[in-house]
Amino acid sequence: MGSFRFDPYSPAVDADPFPFYRRLRDDFPCFWSEEAQMWILSRYADIVGAGQDWQTYSSASGNLMTELPGRAGSTLGSSDPPKHDRLRGLIQHAFLKRNLTALEGHIREVATSVFGQLRDQPEFDFKDVSSQFTVKVLMAALGLPMGDEAIVDEQVVRDNAVLMVQSDARTRAKGPEHLAAYQWMQDYAAQVIAMRRANPRDDLISHFSNAELDGDRLDEREVLLTTTTLIMAGVESLGGFMMMFAYNLASHEQALHEVVGDPAMLPDAVEESLRLNTSAQRFKRRLTRDVELHGSHMKAGDFVCLAYGAGNRDERQFPDPDRYDIRRRPRGHLGFGGGVHACLGVAIARMAVRIAFEELHRVVPRYHRVADQLPWMPSSTFRSPLVLMLAAA
Amino acid sequence: MAHITYVAAGGQSTTVDLPDGWSLMQGAVANGIEGIVGECGGSCACATCHCYVDEADLGRLPAPAEGELAMLANVAAERRPTSRLSCQIKASPALEGLTLHLPDTQE
Repeated sequence: MGSFRFDPYSPAVDADPFPFYRRLRDDFPCFWSEEAQMWILSRYADIVGAGQDWQTYSSASGNLMTELPGRAGSTLGSSDPPKHDRLRGLIQHAFLKRNLTALEGHIREVATSVFGQLRDQPEFDFKDVSSQFTVKVLMAALGLPMGDEAIVDEQVVRDNAVLMVQSDARTRAKGPEHLAAYQWMQDYAAQVIAMRRANPRDDLISHFSNAELDGDRLDEREVLLTTTTLIMAGVESLGGFMMMFAYNLASHEQALHEVVGDPAMLPDAVEESLRLNTSAQRFKRRLTRDVELHGSHMKAGDFVCLAYGAGNRDERQFPDPDRYDIRRRPRGHLGFGGGVHACLGVAIARMAVRIAFEELHRVVPRYHRVADQLPWMPSSTFRSPLVLMLAAA
Repeated sequence: MAHITYVAAGGQSTTVDLPDGWSLMQGAVANGIEGIVGECGGSCACATCHCYVDEADLGRLPAPAEGELAMLANVAAERRPTSRLSCQIKASPALEGLTLHLPDTQE
């Protein structure tokens, strides 16, 4: 009877979750969603607190809102310390800012060639270029076989990464096409791991797949599923974020004008986009003990959604939160999550997006959206448009 | 809750009230305190939330775990006996009034 509902599977939430988030924060800060069968936390302080408290808010039963079968417990994102820390310790090193300088020149070359295709094009789908760029950058960063060694076409990797994070709006579950994409990605990861074990190189997957910790080889499922997730998360998160950043700049003429005129402002515009509407909107935890919050009694075993996208619009933390203000410098935003599971790829994401848009703006310094209404990806975890038609000038 | 004071390398001092369970890194970042980066988000994997615990407060903290000690080898500024990673220290009433001094660089 008009009572409030929050259904992360509904196309309305895919398209615009923000009015729902406001109701959640103001009136239902600890809300049981019947549709999702989990609690929804939406205030900044609650999400930060839960993210810090991994002993209570466990990831070991899965972290994607709609989890992929057999994945929970075997990846970085879906495990708790101390297992999480040993996996992360092996991988984080490659992604630290100080270890990425070698990649910068390569990323610049990729950006120049990919965005150079837009010269003299009056209208284009930004997804076509952002997905090409993303896959090439991720393949270089992870050491996936490219060029003469390539085992599949780059775009096939991209298409499967994007499909496996989606879910079916009607069945509220992964559909056969999503599960097939997940299986494809596991098979692809297995082939890459076999190649790198046979002939190790100086790259992340070679190191990771041959690593031993305290004399123990990593569990095969951990190697396989963590590699699968790195590819998925890298492609989907970087690609999805680039779509949202282009969407914001194409929708805010003044902001675009400023970052084109002064590219040194790009990093601040990126941070504000991460806060305002980044693609990674919601992740999941499971309670290891009873918790009472805002008058709700959550029970051990219950699932809890950390709605990062809602915390990022919390006026208790960010004044005038719905405004896109590239001078805001929103420190502590949740665009990369937080706590022990904070995004591993922060430094490479910031660097790759900055370089991509520097090169895009050299070729296309002015652009705007062609359509008001966009087709949004059906996903309970991520949010980005499937198509973003832009018109130059 | 605990009031934590962050003293920047230049001497500027800021005191914030942190909820129990928040790491001192998160408390700095969420309150806009410059001088702590927290690049890895708090997973003890980057050494960019390095701080010096005030000597008078050192005895109030549990000793660093093995992972933190290993990561402290990677700090950008001088490592001292009072060096800690602020992502590994959780606020609690026992830390009321604690003071952290921030190094001049994290990267």
